[in-house]
Amino acid sequence: MDGHGAGIELRDLTKIFRKDWREVVAVESLTFRVEPEEFVCMLGPSGCGKTTVLRMVAGLERPTRGSVFIDQKEVNSPSPEVGMVFQEFALFPWRTVRKNIAFGLEIKKVPPEKISLLTSEYVQLVGLEGFEDAHPKELSGGMKQRVGIARALANDPRVLLMDEPFGSIDAQTRNLMQRELLRIWESARKTVLFVTHSVDEAVFLADRIVVLTARPAKVREVIDVPIPRPRDRTSPEFIGIRVKVLEELQEEFEKTGVLERQAVAKAGSG
Amino acid sequence: MKLLRRLFFSASSIAIFLIIWHILAWLDNQSRPVVIVYPLDVFENLFNSFLEPDFRGFLIQEEIYSSLKRLFFGFVLALAIALPLGLLMGYSSIAMSSTKPIVEILRPIPPLAWVPVFLALFGNSFGPVMIVFIGIFFPVLLGVIFGVRNVPPELVDASKTLGARPMKIFSKVIFPSTVPYLMNGIYIGLGVGWMCIVAAEMLGVIGGGLGYRLIESATTGRYDSMYACIIMLGILGFLTTELARISSIKVREWMGMGQE
Ligand SMILES: Nc1ncnc2c1ncn2[C@@H]1O[C@H](COP(=O)(O)OP(=O)(O)O)[C@@H](O)[C@H]1O
Ligand SMILES: [Mg+2]
Repeated sequence: MDGHGAGIELRDLTKIFRKDWREVVAVESLTFRVEPEEFVCMLGPSGCGKTTVLRMVAGLERPTRGSVFIDQKEVNSPSPEVGMVFQEFALFPWRTVRKNIAFGLEIKKVPPEKISLLTSEYVQLVGLEGFEDAHPKELSGGMKQRVGIARALANDPRVLLMDEPFGSIDAQTRNLMQRELLRIWESARKTVLFVTHSVDEAVFLADRIVVLTARPAKVREVIDVPIPRPRDRTSPEFIGIRVKVLEELQEEFEKTGVLERQAVAKAGSG
Repeated sequence: MKLLRRLFFSASSIAIFLIIWHILAWLDNQSRPVVIVYPLDVFENLFNSFLEPDFRGFLIQEEIYSSLKRLFFGFVLALAIALPLGLLMGYSSIAMSSTKPIVEILRPIPPLAWVPVFLALFGNSFGPVMIVFIGIFFPVLLGVIFGVRNVPPELVDASKTLGARPMKIFSKVIFPSTVPYLMNGIYIGLGVGWMCIVAAEMLGVIGGGLGYRLIESATTGRYDSMYACIIMLGILGFLTTELARISSIKVREWMGMGQE
C-alpha cells in the first residue's frame, strides 16, 4: 500500500447527454479540488449528476466541456491509478471473491505467489475470511460491496472513487463499514472522493463536503468538517454541521419536488 | 418421496404409451399389409441388432458410431467457426454490419434445404457432416453474438478502472460472460444437428448410419428394424441434448452464474 494519494482537480466540468431530440445537462461548470490524501464527500439529490461526475473523473465518460486533472495530468481514459467502487458493485459473477480481488493484479502481471499473498491480505482487510472461494451471488449486499472495495484497493490506486457504496446496506452494517473505510483510508492514505446522498454519512466521513445543486450539478457550497476522528454522531459539533448541510441541501431537494422531500427526511435520519 | 412419485408417473406414462401402441398394432395386424409392429417385436429386434448383423451385414452399434462421428465432426467444425465469428460480430460493429446481411439471409433457410447442395458439393461421405455443421452453426453463432451484446456494461467499466485494455477486456470480461449463452447455443444446436444428421443419412450416405439403416429397413419392408432405429434415434437424441443441457447448467454453476 504505497500508492500515495494524488490531488484531483475538476475544472469547469460539464456533461450534456443527448438523447433523441432532448438534451440533458447532467453536470454544469463544476469546479473544485480534492487535496492529496483528502477525504471529500459529494452530496446531492439523486439524479443530480453525481455518478456522471465520478465517471468523468475515472475517465469512463468524456466531459462535454472542461477537464479533470489528477496530479496536474489531464484524465483522458481510465487508468489503474484511479480506482472506482461502483454503486451496483459490478463484481465479475464468474470469479470468486479471491479472483475478483485479484483482477487488477492479474492485469498488471503480478506473479501468482504475490497475487495470492496480496489477495489474502485484502480479504482480511475487509473481513471476508472464509469467503475467499465464494462467488458473488452467494454474498449479501454488504459483503459484495466489501469485495468491490478490496478489489479497488488491491490495485493500489492513488485515487479512490466511491459511488454511494453503502446505499444498499442496512443501517447497522453501514455504520460498521463507514468505520472500516476510515480505518483503511487512514492506513492506506488514498485520496477519496465519495458520493452519497446521506447527510449523516457525509458528516461522519469527510474532511470536506461538496454540496451539489439539483440537476445540473454545480457546486452549491463547500463545507469543512473540522471534527477530529473518531467522530461522535451525538456531539454538538456533529449535529451543528449536520444541520448546516441539511439546510443547504433542503433547498435543492425542494427544487426537485415533493417526492424528493421524503428522501431528505431519510437522508437526514440515515 | 418426490423422486419416487416422479418415477412412478414417468413409468406409468411409458406403460400407457406401450399399451396404446400394442392395441394399435393389434388392430393393424387384422389385415394386410402390416405397418404397425408390436412393441415387443420391435424391442426384440433392437436387442438383437446389437448381437447379430442385419441383412446388409451391419451391427447397430456400427451405425450409431457412424452417426455420432458425423455429429461430432459437424459440431466441432461449427464451434470452431461460429465461436470466433460470433465474438467478432458481437464485438466489432464493422464486422457485424458487414456480415449481418449474409447471416440474416442464410439463417432462415431450413438446414435440410442444403442436403442436395452439400451432397453434390462434398460427396456422400463429407456432405452429411456439412449438413450437421449448418444445423449447429447458426444457433451457436446467434448465442455468442447475443452473449457479447449482453455483457453488462458496468463489468467492462469496472475492468477498465482496474487497468484492462481492449485485449484483456475481451479475454477476461467479454468472453467469460458469453460462455452461458454459448452453452445455450450448443444445446439448441445439438438438437437441430441431430435432426440434420438423420435426414442427411436418409438421403444418401457412404459408411452407414442410423438414418441410412432406417431407410434401408423401410424400403425392404423390415418394419421391426425400422422402428428399432427410430427408438434408438430417440434415445440418442435425448441423451445428447440432455448431456448438453446438464453441462450447460454445470458450467453456469461452476462459473457462479446461477440458472436462467
Ligand atoms: N448515459 C446516459 N445517457 C443519457 N442520460 C444520462 C446518462 N447517464 C446519466 N444520465 C442522466 O444524467 C442525470 C444524472 O445522472 P446521474 O449522474 O446518474 O445522477 P446521480 O448519480 O446523482 O443520481 C440523470 O438525469 C440521468 O438520467
Ligand atoms: Mg448515482
